[in-house]
Amino acid sequence: MPVSVQLPSALRPYVGGADSVELDVADVRSALQGLAGVNAQLYRSICDETGAVRRHLNLFVNDAHIRDLAGVETQLKNGDTLIILTAVSGG
Amino acid sequence: MAERVILCIGTKKGLFIAESGPKRTRFELRGPFGDGVPVYSALVDTRAKKPRIYASSCNPWFGNKIYRSTDLGHTFKETKSAPAFPEGDGRTLQNIWAMVPGRGKKELLAGVEPASLFRSMDGGDSWEMMPGISNHEHARDWHPGYGGLCMHTIVLDGDHIHLGISTGGHYVSEDGGTTFKASNKGVGAGFVPDPYPEFGQCVHKIARHPAAPDRLYMQNHGGWEDRPGVGVLRSDDDGKSWYSIADGLPSDFGFPIVVHPDDPDTVYVVPLETVTRTCPGGQPAVWRSTNGGRKWKKLTKGFPKKDAYYTVLRDALDFDDLKAPALYMGTTNGKVWIGRDGGDQWDCLFDDLPTVYCVKSTVVTV
Repeated sequence: MPVSVQLPSALRPYVGGADSVELDVADVRSALQGLAGVNAQLYRSICDETGAVRRHLNLFVNDAHIRDLAGVETQLKNGDTLIILTAVSGG
Repeated sequence: MAERVILCIGTKKGLFIAESGPKRTRFELRGPFGDGVPVYSALVDTRAKKPRIYASSCNPWFGNKIYRSTDLGHTFKETKSAPAFPEGDGRTLQNIWAMVPGRGKKELLAGVEPASLFRSMDGGDSWEMMPGISNHEHARDWHPGYGGLCMHTIVLDGDHIHLGISTGGHYVSEDGGTTFKASNKGVGAGFVPDPYPEFGQCVHKIARHPAAPDRLYMQNHGGWEDRPGVGVLRSDDDGKSWYSIADGLPSDFGFPIVVHPDDPDTVYVVPLETVTRTCPGGQPAVWRSTNGGRKWKKLTKGFPKKDAYYTVLRDALDFDDLKAPALYMGTTNGKVWIGRDGGDQWDCLFDDLPTVYCVKSTVVTV
């Protein structure tokens, strides 16, 4: 089902500057795999070699963090927005 | 045609490029390039007609990247991929510690964390893991030091490859990287019960001169009161056995070790106080031996006389290859020094950069 994946600004060059990507997927894992089909570097920037979401990224379905839902197994419904944000970290 | 000195400075906040004419009187700085994240390794590859500059980018949010420049560091573009462990391997790339030209015109080698070796044949756009060392029978027994489990040194001589791993030790391949064996006789460790284990030493850096291919110098993790003489080492048999050359140094702890480009007997180290890992007594000095480590001379002219406490990391000391080569040294307090006349005279090129992780110098003709 159509969902929107919102990208942080640092990843937008991988999709020609767009701030979001539309995917027809049913859960967060499928959405991430769908991003691999859009651009391999985009996917690798979000997930490491094991497929895990990178530690300093936070994923939200609408306004709920996926850790408070079902992680990457969180189901998506028509019109949902998967938001990818960088964590507050650095120095 | 004119010679230009290109200095790659990898810092905590990205890559800087400093460029100068052959007199090296004034360096112009540009950057920072990358994503404002640490750059632990850089390389100017001069094998092709048009030099290429590579720099790693250790991005804590989006993973490691490699950036490439084909215009002498005026612009950089991300390569199509960075080294990545194969599916099912279970390891994940944490950092890229070394990039060196491999055999022939195209091969590019990268030493990474967790300690593994990767090869690219297309300018860094695709990478394959080299299993001979990455899946070595010892690999799962190596363990990370404070800086991580890093393969930081790759020294090549045709099919002969020396690797330095912290903490893994020194490994050698004689078949172009297909197989490797540990070669640590005389390389000590102060952090395990066996003072001379088969492998697992915390090697900090290895250097070699092409004119003396069987001789190697090593800065190992020294500074152990109970196990002296393991820090600064030399091998005369291609790394099969090692012995201490630390007599005369204020400390055998340090990170970098480099050989003068024109003389395999002239070697440089930067001894650090063992506990703080800063300049002994707050007095910075580079130490030089002109007889292969038998005697050392303290080089201080131009450095602060007191109150200077910084660290020089393993890849932050390098030579250019002009007729009268100069040394370059980057510090953790963001300074870059040039050592003229073989290090007899030091001048500060840049005062206020971010923490310097690596300095790589090359001369190109443009």
